[in-house]
Amino acid sequence: MSVETTAESAPAPKKGTNILLGLTLLGLLLALWLALGLATHAFWSPNNISNLLRQGAMTAILAVGQTFVIITAGIDLSVGAIVGFTSVIVAWLLQAGVPLWLSIVLTLLIGVAIGAFHGFGIVRMGLPPFIITLATLTSLRGIGLLITNGSTISISHEGFTDFSRADFLGVPSLFWMVILVAIPAFVFLHLSRFGRYLFAVGSNAEAARLSGVNVNRTIYLAYILSAACAALVGVLLASRIGIGNATQAEGWELQAIASSVIGGTSLFGAVGSVHGPLLGAFILATINNGANLLNVNSFWQRIITGLLIIVIVYFDQLRRRGSR
Amino acid sequence: MSSLQELSHRHEDEARLAESETVPRGAPILELRGLQKKYGLVEALKPATITFLAGEIHAIVGENGAGKSTLIKLLTGVIRRTAGEVLWCGRPVQLSTPNEAISRGINAVHQEVVLCPHLSVAANMFLGDEMNRNGLMRKGAMERAAQAALDDLGFQLPAAAVLGSLTIGQQQLVATARAAMRGIRFLIFDEPTAYLTRQESAQLFRLIRRLREEGVTIVYISHRMEEVFELADRVSVLRDGTHVGTRLIGETNENELIALMINRSIEQIYHKEKVAAGDVIVETRGLSGPGFTDVSLSVRSGEIVGLYGLIGAGRSEFALGLYGRQPVTAGEIFWDGRKVDIANERAAMELGIALAPESRRDQGLCLNLPIGLNINLPVFRRLSSGPVIRRRDEAENADRQIRNLAIKTPSRAVLASAMSGGNQQKIVIGKWLSHGARLFIFDEPTVGVDVGTKAEIYRLFGELLKQGAGIILISSYLPEVYELSDRLHVFRGGRLVASHDYRAASHEDVLTQAIGA
Repeated sequence: MSVETTAESAPAPKKGTNILLGLTLLGLLLALWLALGLATHAFWSPNNISNLLRQGAMTAILAVGQTFVIITAGIDLSVGAIVGFTSVIVAWLLQAGVPLWLSIVLTLLIGVAIGAFHGFGIVRMGLPPFIITLATLTSLRGIGLLITNGSTISISHEGFTDFSRADFLGVPSLFWMVILVAIPAFVFLHLSRFGRYLFAVGSNAEAARLSGVNVNRTIYLAYILSAACAALVGVLLASRIGIGNATQAEGWELQAIASSVIGGTSLFGAVGSVHGPLLGAFILATINNGANLLNVNSFWQRIITGLLIIVIVYFDQLRRRGSR
Repeated sequence: MSSLQELSHRHEDEARLAESETVPRGAPILELRGLQKKYGLVEALKPATITFLAGEIHAIVGENGAGKSTLIKLLTGVIRRTAGEVLWCGRPVQLSTPNEAISRGINAVHQEVVLCPHLSVAANMFLGDEMNRNGLMRKGAMERAAQAALDDLGFQLPAAAVLGSLTIGQQQLVATARAAMRGIRFLIFDEPTAYLTRQESAQLFRLIRRLREEGVTIVYISHRMEEVFELADRVSVLRDGTHVGTRLIGETNENELIALMINRSIEQIYHKEKVAAGDVIVETRGLSGPGFTDVSLSVRSGEIVGLYGLIGAGRSEFALGLYGRQPVTAGEIFWDGRKVDIANERAAMELGIALAPESRRDQGLCLNLPIGLNINLPVFRRLSSGPVIRRRDEAENADRQIRNLAIKTPSRAVLASAMSGGNQQKIVIGKWLSHGARLFIFDEPTVGVDVGTKAEIYRLFGELLKQGAGIILISSYLPEVYELSDRLHVFRGGRLVASHDYRAASHEDVLTQAIGA
């Protein structure tokens, strides 16, 4: 019985799709940078590029955490609120005299706790991820406002606030944080079995379970990582703006989701990468930055972002369907 | 006119079309001349010339990958042909869209139910073709009409019930009723009895014969030879995308058909490997859990223990209890003579139990992930050094299983969803071969699997037995479980009601015990 000429033999492997999308996004990013560089002299100034990298860095880290969750066919709507909340926490701790390293560690642990809470709601209470993270989204803002009484906590710790303005080897320290997050994230998602388990759970949780995957632990892990990334961004934001305020980072969860989706993550689960969301975040940051420089009405930025999401995801779907 | 015919002629234009395109019984109604389908360089269907006659039951048999699905898709307008002609009632037709096929009365009932489980039976039957008056749906009228049609067909199903609350077999019957209601000129059935109980199959056969009386042409695709010989007037064989022959049922036999399909004989299919049974691997005493009560049995190394029963008899539930997926509420499990507590799937795997579950799609595979990932899923820990996976071992393990089981794929990176049913089943089994299990539980391992792959799977059983493993084989297909089991247990209503040694009882006895008649 011949194997090669079998009628319904499988089509070509789709490993290349991920790389192809990555290259397309990289190409788009570079094209944008070139175009903006030509459109205005201000774009390529060191100051502007640094700003762009700093702003994009925070969305990028959020997007990576969000991607882990989306791969499991879930969603984390709370990350913006976590950023705001944790920026308050770290500011509060610093003002109370807690040592810097301890303040940061405690803040990150709070992120872990919130993520664990999400995992608990999903696994033990059986709540849809949308619902439990929506609940956190609303209530965390409330808790933050309660703690601060609606006011702002200023941070006088200079070492802390200087960090976000510093450069290391000519590149903003905030951008180095992206690399600090991206490398372990890549190892986790693509090179470790825990990453494979994320994909399996997102594809078919029951089949994963029957294959010996600890589905509950995998879900906890995804949400904890997402919340921890958000807590880290909260710390970075507090460093950047020098204050802790509960209303910050409004809408950042949508930026994170948009970045992830532009980066090729499927909201249906089981499809995603680390480089995709990073590129998506910086593309959005570039559009943001460019629009500001060109004095484009900020409303247009939102429209452009929306269109970009549609276009990129549409073509990605076509490519996936086409190779079937 | 029967209520079915009334329903199918609801649309004036369809009625007119039906009248103008009629052909006397026994004359060719659908002729394929050199019908070909190529995907790039791959010929899914080589130029085929087949004639279907009005009012006949025409069976099509062939392995997975032989071109049967392609043929169905061409006839129902889902895909377009690359070459050749199709004549309907003597006139050339395109059949380039599903609607064109449906408007001629060509319909198909597929292997997997593709309806809406949250809607009612009546709503599903009228989906896309609802009765309207001034833009408002006539729900009451539709329900009554649907019930009348179901009664007419002899299916005892309530039209108001939510589709998802019915068994899969019943849902299949609804799908059949829906197709029969649409256009009863040419009806294609693809593996219709895979999920049906014996009673439901009998109902289906009655319907098929009745449709034939009314002049409908039935195309019946099945791997089950006894059904082909029971129902069909003629049978066509496909092999590797080629139409290799058409025979009158009375002028052929199973051996000849199988020889045409795979160039192998039937003796080589149910190959029972005689292996000396060793020690008892697992024993259950009075085991109870959700869906099963007081089950006591044992499995020795080198033996196949068969569990036969109707769908819902408690066999799969027992397997899930043994595997730690469902909590056990009473009874004991002994592994190698030691009492054990199997708290979850991982504990079962660690003991050495492997489960190939009943539903490939829902329980067995991560369909939108690559074959390699599916195969390696249970053993990733072993393939990792610390947190990082050893890529070469990962690749080698997957490739080895693909080779061992002859899974037809160019690479391990192809998604599992792109594979045929038989190959998917091989992936499900392949997951467990590198795990080193001693007890294999196979739940319906050959549903929707072609004859050639079935033989391969049975041969695999033999090899596992030779390596000292024990097998629990759960099957609703009596010939299979009867021929292969060293010990056969019959389940009914969640209980183990009878046990037999190899071929000690007759088919009829076993069947009676399963039905409880």
